[in-house]
Amino acid sequence: MPVPILKQGDILIASIQSALSDRELVELRDSFSDQIGRFRSRGVVVDVTALDVLDSFATRTLRGIAHTARLRGATAVVVGIQPEVAFAMVQLGLSLEGVETALDLEEGMALLNGAGTADDDRAR
Amino acid sequence: MGEQIKDDAALSLMHEMGINDAAIERRKKIVALEPADVTRIVAIGELVRPRVEQYAATFFDHLATLEEARPLLANRTLADKAKQLKIAHLAALVSGDYGPKYVEERLELGLVYARAGLDPRVFLGAFHHLLRNIGTSVMQAFERKPREGFDNFMSLKKVAFFDIGLIVDVLVFERERVIRQQQEAIRELSTPVLQIRDRLLLIPIIGVIDTHRARLITESLLKAIRGNRARVVVMDVTGVATIDSRVANHIMQTVAAARLMGAFVVVTGISSEVAQSLVALGLELSKINTVGDLQGGLEEAERMLGLQVVRANGAATSPIAMR
Repeated sequence: MPVPILKQGDILIASIQSALSDRELVELRDSFSDQIGRFRSRGVVVDVTALDVLDSFATRTLRGIAHTARLRGATAVVVGIQPEVAFAMVQLGLSLEGVETALDLEEGMALLNGAGTADDDRAR
Repeated sequence: MGEQIKDDAALSLMHEMGINDAAIERRKKIVALEPADVTRIVAIGELVRPRVEQYAATFFDHLATLEEARPLLANRTLADKAKQLKIAHLAALVSGDYGPKYVEERLELGLVYARAGLDPRVFLGAFHHLLRNIGTSVMQAFERKPREGFDNFMSLKKVAFFDIGLIVDVLVFERERVIRQQQEAIRELSTPVLQIRDRLLLIPIIGVIDTHRARLITESLLKAIRGNRARVVVMDVTGVATIDSRVANHIMQTVAAARLMGAFVVVTGISSEVAQSLVALGLELSKINTVGDLQGGLEEAERMLGLQVVRANGAATSPIAMR
């Protein structure tokens, strides 16, 4: 089942509810890329709260989503990485370099809306 | 006194100490116990079995003469339990079967000694006394064939040393248990994660960071980030005397993991010695946001959160206002 992409104003949101196959991940990346252009979105939020594992391919695809989004003029934020998942990822040497991350959906939206986020302040 | 020993305590201890079938075989190999020995032991079984209670009594009589053994004998419950297990031990000693069940029974007896705080050397003395008594009986029975009697007794002694190995290991293991628990407590205590502002956490690290502790630090930090919805974390390493490449790597991993959860980490308190040694080692810490001291780190963190500390209107810094 493909992951539904929700449109909230000029932000696109996808909440991944179960482990995705490699093909579904690639499909998600492509439909994001497609819809950013169609809806002229400026932000993308990928919610991985429900996932208890992020493997190297998933990590790479998330990076891919962020990079394609940037090329299409939008910012991507990965939200809801669980503590155990974060720990496992660093142990395995997987990184989300160049990808924005936030604690949960709310924080991710705040980050995209520039409401006093850590990142914005740092750039100041 | 609440020193009731549960039936499965010995079995769980066996797992804890990592004594499996392979380890038991290894222990037999160490004392050079061979099938031929087992045959010889069984041969003198008839001789030993009727007198097990008598032999056990010599063990405890010898203990009674020793000041150091008083804690065991003074405790009625433990002493009775030990006597009962000792008699069972002597019967099993000549049974010829030294498998996991036998080992479990030895550990159970070892646990009783450990609970009573019996010193290994006291145990060794009493056990030697007991063996000497058995040896005397064996030699008496084999008066005509001393060579055979000696061989039989030496075979028995191999099992006895096998037992000693187990008992002493239990005594040491139980004694070290306290040390392990204290180490655990120190580890737990020494990595508090403190919330000092809304969305701002402080994690002061003191002492030595090893792999195990680094893991604990990372785990507790990540949980706290989630629990307190933190956005910035100040990690203060003033109390860490030396940072080598491994520790630096641990710090990098913690920072990266926090970053994945959307929190920024500011590392503070890297002393000039540590900074110099990091540079000398050629360690790349440029990805980490570092600030000289804790105060600077907190100010930086507040700036990142868009907070500003201002003096309350009209407040003075006089001692009166501090009250």
